[in-house]
Amino acid sequence: MKRFITLFGVMSLLFSLQFVGGGFEAFAAGPGAETFVDHASKGLETFWNFTGFANAHFTNFIMIGVGLFFIFLAIKYDYEPLLLVPIGTGVILGNVPFLDGYKIGLYEEGSVLNYLYFGVQQGVYPPLIFLGIGAMTDFSSLISNPKLMILGAAAQVGIFATFLGASAMGFTPQEAGAIGIIGGADGPTAIFLSSKLAPTLMGAIAIAAYSYMALVPVIQPPIMRLIIPKKERLIKMKPPRAVSKTEKIMFPIIGLLLTTFISPSALPLLGMLFFGNLLKESGVTERLADTARNSMINIVTILLGITVGASTQADYFLTTASMKIFGLGAVSFMVATAGGLIFARLMNVFLKGDNKINPLIGAAGVSAVPDSARVVQHEGLKNDPNNHLLMHAMAPNVSGVIGSAVAAGILLSFLM
Amino acid sequence: MNLLIVDSMTWTITVLGWFIVFVALVFLIGVFLTLPKVLNWNLRRILRKKNKDVAVEELADDKLVITGETNAAIAMALHLYFNELHDEESNVITIKQVRKRYSPWSSKVYSFNNVNFPR
Repeated sequence: MKRFITLFGVMSLLFSLQFVGGGFEAFAAGPGAETFVDHASKGLETFWNFTGFANAHFTNFIMIGVGLFFIFLAIKYDYEPLLLVPIGTGVILGNVPFLDGYKIGLYEEGSVLNYLYFGVQQGVYPPLIFLGIGAMTDFSSLISNPKLMILGAAAQVGIFATFLGASAMGFTPQEAGAIGIIGGADGPTAIFLSSKLAPTLMGAIAIAAYSYMALVPVIQPPIMRLIIPKKERLIKMKPPRAVSKTEKIMFPIIGLLLTTFISPSALPLLGMLFFGNLLKESGVTERLADTARNSMINIVTILLGITVGASTQADYFLTTASMKIFGLGAVSFMVATAGGLIFARLMNVFLKGDNKINPLIGAAGVSAVPDSARVVQHEGLKNDPNNHLLMHAMAPNVSGVIGSAVAAGILLSFLM
Repeated sequence: MNLLIVDSMTWTITVLGWFIVFVALVFLIGVFLTLPKVLNWNLRRILRKKNKDVAVEELADDKLVITGETNAAIAMALHLYFNELHDEESNVITIKQVRKRYSPWSSKVYSFNNVNFPR
């Protein structure tokens, strides 16, 4: 070590000798020195221009804050973490400032993010998500008590009321249709429809839909308590009957044929939903069903979350239209919940004896599966610790998925 | 927000759209209310053949339907029954004779050295 220090000292002494006796001045006056300093400063300047600090705008920081807030909600309060963590990270990714023209951003053609965004833009991811949902969902509660399916239709009032409201606020019919679907409380359907009808608003619509879906446990309970009197909240429903395997297999086939013949525009969504369910119920394609409900839906959720999040680039996202969409989205969720609850109370007028339903399950008509059914179960238990409503609430919940996909198809066929 | 600026087409889509969603799901309800009846028809026919003296009213739909609770009770009973079962045993306790094959590996003959002891 001592030798090394001595050697290094001698070498540095020799090197510094050249500057003795006006060496610095000679170096600075020389032609090579000027280019070195210039090049260095130019290089640093170019580097500075490439950095996020030079391109930052205060809106970027607002959006990065939103992204961090989503991640906080997901981790701290467990609000839809599987969605909010990818979306939150995507929001941060999409809002790190950069110099345009180098194929970095999501909206720049040829960039990596743009390639991943293709699946959102062309509506590829939502049907794949539906395939996974179909392979996960057990429709037996719906098959055992088909009349509960009507609650799924009643809750779709949120979609059409918002469509009307958005039109009244000056949005074009296509934009209003895309905004209306937020009331369906179904993220993939919202992305699918907005990618077709109003691609420019898709980021705001998707973020609004997923945010409100995550906030279902906060939005729904006060509306439930407001509309349903205590006495009706205590109603106990009779247990669902056992459903045969034949019925379970026939459900996706009949459902597919019937709904897609009525609304062919929803074919990619409904086709994949029922196909996934057939894979599950047939009992002979367990490997495919397993892939659809695990690996595949996880991969697509990651891609969808990150690209939808990244699509909220501040200069495209922070507009007055986005604010209006957020406002309309909140109202549509409330209207949809209220629609389901009121219709459930109305149904009870015509039902007798032990056929009466607990009107709380009407709130599950919005298709946020299985969150709204879980909220119903929670509310039911609050009123009577022995009243388990989860199985009953799953029926309107899954019919809400079918209903919102049908509604999306109808809007698509009217407005395309 | 001004509902007066909403054109008639928007109103039509709103009303008709919601109506069509209802119609689609009401169709599904109709099909799935009928389906169990159709599936039970064959079962009822077989039962009627087997027990000719059973009245038609006794084979009504709600009697053929088994609730999930009934199934759960049957499954529980079977589970308990099979858990109670044991293998059949002879009840004869026997002591098996232990036989060891001779091996020089641990033989005393080789492990003891008695040269120091006077004979």
